[in-house]
Amino acid sequence: MDPFFLLLYVLVFPGFLFLAAYALFLAYLDRKVGARMQHRVGPPLLQPLADFVKVLGKEVIDPRGVDRPAFDAAPLLALAAVMTAFLYVPVIGPSPVAFQGDLVLVLYLLTLPTVALFLVGWLSRIVYSTVGGVRAVTQLFIYEVPFFLALLAPAIAAGTWSISGITALQAGHPWFALLQPIGFVVALVGLQAKLERTPFDIPEAETEIVAGPWTELTGRRLALMILANEMSLVVGAGLVAALFLGGPSVPAWVPAGPVAALAGFALFLVKTIAILLVLASVKVMTGRIRIDQLNDVGWKYLANAALLQVALVLFMGFWGVGT
Amino acid sequence: MVEITVPIGPQHPALKEPVNFKVFAEGETVVRLELDVSYNHRGIEKAAEQRDFIRVVPLLERVCGICSHSHGTAFVKGIEEIMGVEVSPRAQYIRTIVAELERMHSHLLWLGVAAHEIGFNTLFMWTWRDREVVQDILEELTGNRVNYGMNEIGGVRRDIPPAQVKKTLSLLPGLDERLVKYREMVRRQETMILRFRGVGKITKAQALSYGTVGPTARASGVDYDVRKDDPYIAYREIPWNVVTSNDGDVYGRTVVRIGELAESLGIVRSCLEGLPDGPVTVDAPKKAPTGEILSRYEAPRGELCHYIRTNGTDKVDRLDIRTPTLANWTSVAVCLVGQNIADIPVIVAAIDPCLSCTSRMAVVDTEGRARPCLSCTSRMTVVRGEDGEA
Amino acid sequence: MTTVWITDLGNRFSVLREMLRNLVSKPSTICYPFEKVPVPEGFRGRVEYIDENCIGCGRCSRVCPADAIVMVEGPREMEVKGKKLMRKKKPEVAIFRCIRCGLCEEHCPQDPKAIRLTCEFSGAGEDREVVVG
Repeated sequence: MDPFFLLLYVLVFPGFLFLAAYALFLAYLDRKVGARMQHRVGPPLLQPLADFVKVLGKEVIDPRGVDRPAFDAAPLLALAAVMTAFLYVPVIGPSPVAFQGDLVLVLYLLTLPTVALFLVGWLSRIVYSTVGGVRAVTQLFIYEVPFFLALLAPAIAAGTWSISGITALQAGHPWFALLQPIGFVVALVGLQAKLERTPFDIPEAETEIVAGPWTELTGRRLALMILANEMSLVVGAGLVAALFLGGPSVPAWVPAGPVAALAGFALFLVKTIAILLVLASVKVMTGRIRIDQLNDVGWKYLANAALLQVALVLFMGFWGVGT
Repeated sequence: MVEITVPIGPQHPALKEPVNFKVFAEGETVVRLELDVSYNHRGIEKAAEQRDFIRVVPLLERVCGICSHSHGTAFVKGIEEIMGVEVSPRAQYIRTIVAELERMHSHLLWLGVAAHEIGFNTLFMWTWRDREVVQDILEELTGNRVNYGMNEIGGVRRDIPPAQVKKTLSLLPGLDERLVKYREMVRRQETMILRFRGVGKITKAQALSYGTVGPTARASGVDYDVRKDDPYIAYREIPWNVVTSNDGDVYGRTVVRIGELAESLGIVRSCLEGLPDGPVTVDAPKKAPTGEILSRYEAPRGELCHYIRTNGTDKVDRLDIRTPTLANWTSVAVCLVGQNIADIPVIVAAIDPCLSCTSRMAVVDTEGRARPCLSCTSRMTVVRGEDGEA
Repeated sequence: MTTVWITDLGNRFSVLREMLRNLVSKPSTICYPFEKVPVPEGFRGRVEYIDENCIGCGRCSRVCPADAIVMVEGPREMEVKGKKLMRKKKPEVAIFRCIRCGLCEEHCPQDPKAIRLTCEFSGAGEDREVVVG
């Protein structure tokens, strides 16, 4: 691809700038829909942007004895990981940097924000953050297995390890959400746990451990970490949309070129917003569970369901059905 | 495992008022608890000794914002009994109406706060929206949403005209519907069941031996309600039931409070429909004869005791307030040991703590030790899990 | 049996149904200060002092629980029950000490009252020592 256009793709649209803008928009939508469901008014459109700018300008407070370079670097690590992961998610069509195995790379990159959060919690030298950081990593161990397995199933069924490949396959093929409903549900639940939203906002449990690992983050560190969190919502939703709902792939009868790109983009927006609405409803509908109860639920139901889904896909593939 | 200290308070998002819990935990399990409830101490008992009977009633109403009418009525009825003043039936009914409306708004507030403690903010928003209906009724009847200023020695200060009676009666059925919905929600909502059932269990024997009162005790099967066992104002004349449960855990306390909400609504309705005619206040003497009295009242949180001693002047000689939250702290300290850190806000919220009522003085010993240490008056408890001393 | 299971399912999703219903109805928030908050008639709001009715008896000052009312110099010729008399003092209320209990209004012997609570609930100001009267 022409280097100039590649740079434009990566930096502006649908790369980093679009990612930031869309992250702020989805954050607004999440809060507005949640508020309306609770019979409240909710924030105006530019509220997440205003919050970002405001927090950026606040004073940065260092707890006594903290390792300042590491403490500064952790939010940047989270942000960099999420932004890089977004490059491989198809937005207007197959990603120009796609390659076989980019699914594994994206899944790996998406674990880095949680590790960064744990680092922040550990470095903060305060009991609330330590407990929160430990909870974040425990939660990571619990939901990662079902989440990975659920995302593995479409890859096995499609016979390719590239996200863009799986998406392109669903252009003329029923969506994997319909063919693998169990995997779809497990992926959504795993996404909610990865994003640490209710009922899985255990690391940040406000009424138990103040703000968990987020307690000692202030100023620009907090702003960047929040932005990384909001961006992971976009990346996660985009990933699930790509693997299960066909992402931006358009039917064959749409003429290739700008029309296809525009139609694909519109489909991408619709699908990610639909996933966000589901996640927002779950967030509003439930309370927080305890980490030991998550352990129960995660290993008893989620992991078994994901294993079942993978087994079904292998079984049906063996008999030559569905691909 | 390493023992960590998790300080809950004095400032903490789980707490509405400052209190200091030092929780010692191993991993996620609590092993020990140290308690300090002195942060809201304002010297009200002393201030009450310096005000005459007209000026002391507004002071006592401000002991607590949520149980404001409870403190006012408990004091006023105690003084009336010492003076031998017979209050008119209409005044008794009006006091009952405000008392039960206060119980309703307090329990709705509690339901929202309990939901907030487990992260279920939706129920928090909904219950507080319904609480606005009760607050608006109170604002119409008494002129303010908290600190109602209805009581005076000899009766109440305001009457309820028939138009207000009708308007209030028309607002009650809507509230009734919402209560039915909340009862169903608590029974069926998965996360509430997961977080409330089996958490903070106290048996009936424990409840009796630690002196728990109010919905906390009634949830463990203790059938004790001052309104039934030592009736005052209009409770003798209105039909109503005591709500108990045998669960003993936070879920039981939720069920008891929702049941009490429904009962209170019924009491308000009966009182409004059967409001007797007559004056709302009678003349009372300026000075009280010498005497002492223990005035008991069922506040939304439990049994409230005002010990009043008078000496023939127009001021009290000594006033001692024993609030229900003070009686319930021991049960919190006891049932927290062995539970998860995540359950601390739930168990604390389940007794419906009101620190403004509770605060007692603490003696701080800052010299002669390596780190400053707080040792409290005899009412405080330092609970040790293994030693068993409390 | 199926009907029982379906209604049970309906109950299980009652939270979701209410959420969706709220989504399409008007929020219950009063957008103060753009919307007006309804204030009932007997609301105990800000204190108001009416000079023409006051005879300077000092009862309001004695009965105020918050010690917010002080009697200050305020001579004025008054007519009470057909007789002319000279009032010597008048009350001065420190607005931010007032707890709006209404005892001053209740104990004022005049009719119409010389000191009363209005329905004005908003009480913000910039000067802590501001007085009325």
